[in-house]
Amino acid sequence: MFRKKKQTSEQQVQLNYGQNISVSDVNLHYGEFHALKNINIEIPEKQITAFIGPSGCGKSTLLKCFNRMNDLVEGCKIEGKFLIGEVDIYAPTTDVNELRKNVGMVFQKPNPFPMSVYDNIAYGPRTFGIRNRAQLDEIVERTLKQAAMWEELKDRLNKSALGLSGGQQQRLCIARALAVQPKIILMDEPTSALDPISTAKIEELCMELKKDVTVVIVTHNMQQAARISDKTGFFLLGELVEFNDTDTLFSSPAKEETERYITGRFG
Amino acid sequence: MLHSKLKERAGKVLFAVTACICILAVVAIFLFIIIKSIPALSKIGVFKFIFGTTWKPDTSDTYVEALTGQYGILTMIVGTIFSTVGALAVGGSLGYFTAVYLAFFCKGKLKQIFNFVINLLAGIPSVIYGFFGMRVVSKLFYSLSPTGSGSGLLLVSVVLGMMILPTVVALTKTSLEAVPNPYYEGARALGATHEKAVFRTMVPAARSGITAAMILGIGRALGETMAVVMLAGNSPVFPTGFFQSFRTLTANIVLEMGYAGEVQMGALFATGGVLLVFVAIINLLLGLVTNQKLKEKRKEKAKKSRDLFGVLHQKINFAKVGKYASFVATAFAGVFLVTLVLFVLINGLPHITWQLLFGEFEFGGEVTIFPAIVSTLMVVFISLIVAIPLGIATAIFLNEYTKKGSKLVATIRSAIDILSGVPSIVYGLFGAITFVVLTNNQMTILAGGLTISLMLLPTVVRSTEESLKAVPDSFREGSLALGAGKLRTIFRVVLPSAFPGIMSAVILSIGRVVSESAPFMFTMGASLKPMPDGFLSGGTSLAVALYVLAGEGLHLNEAYATAAVLLILVTGINLLAQYVGGKLKRDGKKKKVKKAKKANLTQGQEQNV
Repeated sequence: MFRKKKQTSEQQVQLNYGQNISVSDVNLHYGEFHALKNINIEIPEKQITAFIGPSGCGKSTLLKCFNRMNDLVEGCKIEGKFLIGEVDIYAPTTDVNELRKNVGMVFQKPNPFPMSVYDNIAYGPRTFGIRNRAQLDEIVERTLKQAAMWEELKDRLNKSALGLSGGQQQRLCIARALAVQPKIILMDEPTSALDPISTAKIEELCMELKKDVTVVIVTHNMQQAARISDKTGFFLLGELVEFNDTDTLFSSPAKEETERYITGRFG
Repeated sequence: MLHSKLKERAGKVLFAVTACICILAVVAIFLFIIIKSIPALSKIGVFKFIFGTTWKPDTSDTYVEALTGQYGILTMIVGTIFSTVGALAVGGSLGYFTAVYLAFFCKGKLKQIFNFVINLLAGIPSVIYGFFGMRVVSKLFYSLSPTGSGSGLLLVSVVLGMMILPTVVALTKTSLEAVPNPYYEGARALGATHEKAVFRTMVPAARSGITAAMILGIGRALGETMAVVMLAGNSPVFPTGFFQSFRTLTANIVLEMGYAGEVQMGALFATGGVLLVFVAIINLLLGLVTNQKLKEKRKEKAKKSRDLFGVLHQKINFAKVGKYASFVATAFAGVFLVTLVLFVLINGLPHITWQLLFGEFEFGGEVTIFPAIVSTLMVVFISLIVAIPLGIATAIFLNEYTKKGSKLVATIRSAIDILSGVPSIVYGLFGAITFVVLTNNQMTILAGGLTISLMLLPTVVRSTEESLKAVPDSFREGSLALGAGKLRTIFRVVLPSAFPGIMSAVILSIGRVVSESAPFMFTMGASLKPMPDGFLSGGTSLAVALYVLAGEGLHLNEAYATAAVLLILVTGINLLAQYVGGKLKRDGKKKKVKKAKKANLTQGQEQNV
């Protein structure tokens, strides 16, 4: 895929990052606080999986385990096993940067870098050693097309990304994540700061993306989960209460808490 | 990927090692000064040195033979304390009221102008204050003086007071403006007038910040050297009257370092040591004031005393008096600055000639400051290439790599605090026994540059850290989530975003180097020198040139012209720094506004579609 990757794959054992995530017996503590309790979940490949639940239920925390962004949090202790394909991502031999290249992330608030649109997209590929201008041009065009932004941005590639609207910025961040060809994309409430129209565009984009990548999305918006996801997990107080096909979970939830939550009686 | 891990680790270690240079510098300064003063102290006797009232050094005294001179510095210790107290009385009270005025009574354009003026006041070199005090303020006092001399404690107090005013104002204003607005609204809602709300509610709430401002002002007054030398009269006797000549510890070093004998030299280092003790005490005090736990206790005490004062306040209507005092104080500060600037420019500008600026240097010939200008540029160059990378690396380590509550970080931070409190003349002493010795025992531009670099470090570290802190964490997360390592994140995303802030720190550093003089006296040279022919030759900085010209009194016109050049240069540099700093802020705001507008526009368009 990338020149650099070929070189490194010769140097060390080929890590086979798959597109499915398997979580077993995971407990996570922030200092004294027990944030995730005994989580077991199998996230299928090339589907959209949504995590729902009230604030502070641990859904974002779990999401951030998949690309080890929790490493940045002081006092965060994780037990249990995370497999992405065949790779144990918390094994001491795992290279975090390589992991994050394979597992992209989109944040709650759009966070384009204060650079041009082009440089934002090229940031990831450049990180992994691609310097060739023609190659970069090709990647920028391909990813912007993939994010359905090529038409609106092709004349503004050298303008600052900070001049885009909030919705455009968020889609740019998705494109930026796509530029390193990740296997999985994590989205942490990607539309909570956006207007309804931008939200619709991003949802559309997610449906497109699942042809190629696995999408895991955390959302506060139950309708959003119902609209776009194939699987939904409901979290409450650090526990995974229920995980099922989205249709099943919303039409006939197995647990009472789930039903109360999706019918809007708490949270 | 092993390679990249190694690189990350190497980067972290490099930043950490750089950050430790601050600790090293503090240890080295204290150690060298102490080592240098021990032989003299043991020869003279510690008690005799500190409590002796006669300072009559004999340059032929050595450590081997019996002393013929007398080395007691009590007069100077008292002189330093008196001048510091005097400066605090003038600058502290004026600064306090000016800050209150700027924070609560002044609005709109006027506020901008005054803030601007105070910032400029902060940047004016101390030799110019000294020169102005010598030529103007002392003449004013002359008519009041019973002793027939304008110089002495009163003159020093007033000029030093004006020098510490910007420090006091800036810090006091910050802590006043940090008081939550509901306090004010609450007071007004209870029927208090604006003045009463300000003086009885807002000001007491900012008490600890104001105390810290005063302590920092004391630190500044204590360490001030050049202006004091030019104004105090410098006889090593007790300051018995307001117009009596006296000498401070800092002045003692500057005056005698140039020709000191063996024991005398040691005694001067010991004088520096005594200054360091004062600095340590001030740092301790500051630590106590800003300490959270003690704050609570003090608050209770303060409450009791406030109740007591409250009665008094009501009787004399302190609030109303305070209001007028704050007008007067601000006006005084403004008038002082305007007079100073006008005086220097009016007397100096007509005498700026081609010969003065770019003439050929000749011993005993016509005065030219061309070599001084070149030397200043050279020393600026050295200090920037040393202090800026070190400072930035230290700031990166402190802000990007460390965890809260780490002991190393606490140590580095207190080292930086101490460094910023060490008087400039002590840096000069330190430079004279380290960098000068390293450059073949010659006073060189390189030695001067290295000395001032140490002095710049705390400022560069602090302002870089501020601008690093202003970079949103989401940028870092975004970069890391793309698989970029920490180093790449720092160099590609964080530093470019912080660049403007770092730039204004760089410009301010240049201004500081141009206006300093005390650290150069014994590291670069204290007399007018010919054109330097490299970094290993001696040189005179512009500020030192002004000191020499003003002190000689033979070339007053040239001194005025030099002062004007210096003033214009420093003010220009500070304006540039403010412009860069301010422009960034404005740009940021504009961008946000633009962004919001654009967002609205595009939303509208999208909705139309």
